Amino acid sequence: MDFAWSDEQMQLREAVKSFARDELNEGLCERDKRGEFNREGWHKCAKFGIHGLPVPADYGGMGADPLTTVGVLENLGYGCKDNGLLFSINAHMWTVEIPLLDFGSEPQKRKYLPDLCNGTLIGGNAMTEPGSGSDAYSLRTTAERRGDRYVLNGSKTFVSNGNVADLVVVYATLNRSAGPNGICGFLVEKGYPGFKVGRPLEKMGLRTSPMAELFFDDCEVPAENRLGREGAGQSLFTHSMNWERACILSNSVGAMQRLLEMSIRYARDRKQFGQAIGKFQLVSSKIVDMKMRVDQAQAALYRTAWLQTKGRNVYLEAALAKLTISENWVRCAENAIQIHGGYGYMVEAEVERELRDALGSRLYSGTSEIQRVLVASLLGL
Amino acid sequence: MTDQSATMSVIKDYILEEFLPGEDPGQLTPSTPLVSTGILDSLAILKLIAFLEREFDIPIKAHEADEEHLNTLQAICALVDSKRSLVR
Ligand SMILES: Cc1cc2nc3c(=O)[nH]c(=O)nc-3n(C[C@H](O)[C@H](O)[C@H](O)COP(=O)(O)OP(=O)(O)OC[C@H]3O[C@@H](n4cnc5c(N)ncnc54)[C@H](O)[C@@H]3O)c2cc1C
Repeated sequence: MDFAWSDEQMQLREAVKSFARDELNEGLCERDKRGEFNREGWHKCAKFGIHGLPVPADYGGMGADPLTTVGVLENLGYGCKDNGLLFSINAHMWTVEIPLLDFGSEPQKRKYLPDLCNGTLIGGNAMTEPGSGSDAYSLRTTAERRGDRYVLNGSKTFVSNGNVADLVVVYATLNRSAGPNGICGFLVEKGYPGFKVGRPLEKMGLRTSPMAELFFDDCEVPAENRLGREGAGQSLFTHSMNWERACILSNSVGAMQRLLEMSIRYARDRKQFGQAIGKFQLVSSKIVDMKMRVDQAQAALYRTAWLQTKGRNVYLEAALAKLTISENWVRCAENAIQIHGGYGYMVEAEVERELRDALGSRLYSGTSEIQRVLVASLLGL
Repeated sequence: MTDQSATMSVIKDYILEEFLPGEDPGQLTPSTPLVSTGILDSLAILKLIAFLEREFDIPIKAHEADEEHLNTLQAICALVDSKRSLVR
């Protein structure tokens, strides 16, 4: 395994760091309070090339390999404190662009990918329903073929970007008795008849990433907007989740590094009992733990991306990377608060927000429990 | 044994051991449906793909991890063979 960055990769990583620091953080505390999406930041990131990182140049992207992609996203997360904005971008990349790229027909790719890459279109992914979360394939939203279209009926919840999305990958069943093999993905545009956006959902963290319920009431989807074969929804969703688990927490590794550096600075500056608190071993050991967790997370991220670059399935590695990074992100954020004492608990110190943002990572793209179930099973248990 | 029957026997042994423990091997024929009957559920499909990639040193594409390509021993062997002929 070789994780040495080339000069070109280094330049890109440095450029994204300063871009993120300079362009994406202003007004974040207020946006977080209001639960407001940074649309301007969305477009700036698209212009920088973030949205199209893994998409071939032919479809308007940068055509970067997985390792380069996660390296750039990691540095984006280091520079940009708006974890919600980055979460929205990731949802758009891994659950819309990638499924389109790998399962879409040529006309579908030509129609949607360039605008997804340049940020004109915002993408979302609608799998979860009120009655089906971890057991995603027990979904109840139906699709029925009627002539040259499919008619969708049902509802979805927890859809990231749901209320700002122009294009949503919606999973529905064509035949409930076929179980997971009856499921199919559809590219649903926001203007299709029968498509309704429900109330926005207010979250604990990642508050700058919009989320909503979606309703399909005899929603008409042209047949050419079916994504993949009829009944291929399971492999489509598996693929999408695999990429998401492997890459969605790239930013978090950067965020963890930022928290580590912030905590080191604070532990050196803050004096109690006549000395820097970092001199107390109970404080410094927390920082050592943070460093260990950042390194573990980074190793899991790079290893998975490296294997993906080699073109192999990474079911096991992606689940492990998701589990390792999310759990370590939460612990790092907890330590950062503890090291900052009462100040860390205050909103203005911008540490507590990191913990609120981190906690969601144990839930989306499959909970930590589900990652453990997956890993255990892949280990032959 | 031909290449093909050797492949089938390796895959059959794996499926019997992992997903049909205690089952009479005679019941698992080349045309026994595996995905549509739920013998291979979503987790089992991931395990099978990981096994095929490792065992035969072949890459399997995302869209091939489905009922069409994995529903029977026959279909799985055809998939493996098509990949091996590309590798050779
Ligand atoms: C920030 C955020 C963004 C999201 N974005 C999207 C999105 O864009 N699109 C979308 O479709 N969904 C999205 N989701 C939904 C997410 O995928 C689900 O919340 C998740 O899959 C869990 O489902 P659930 O909430 O219904 O919990 P449940 O499945 O009801 O789980 C409840 C608890 O039971 C545990 N549990 C369940 N099954 C098992 C098991 N077999 N073994 C052990 N423990 C188990 C879980 O781990 C959890 O602790 C998002 C969620 C969050 C928090």
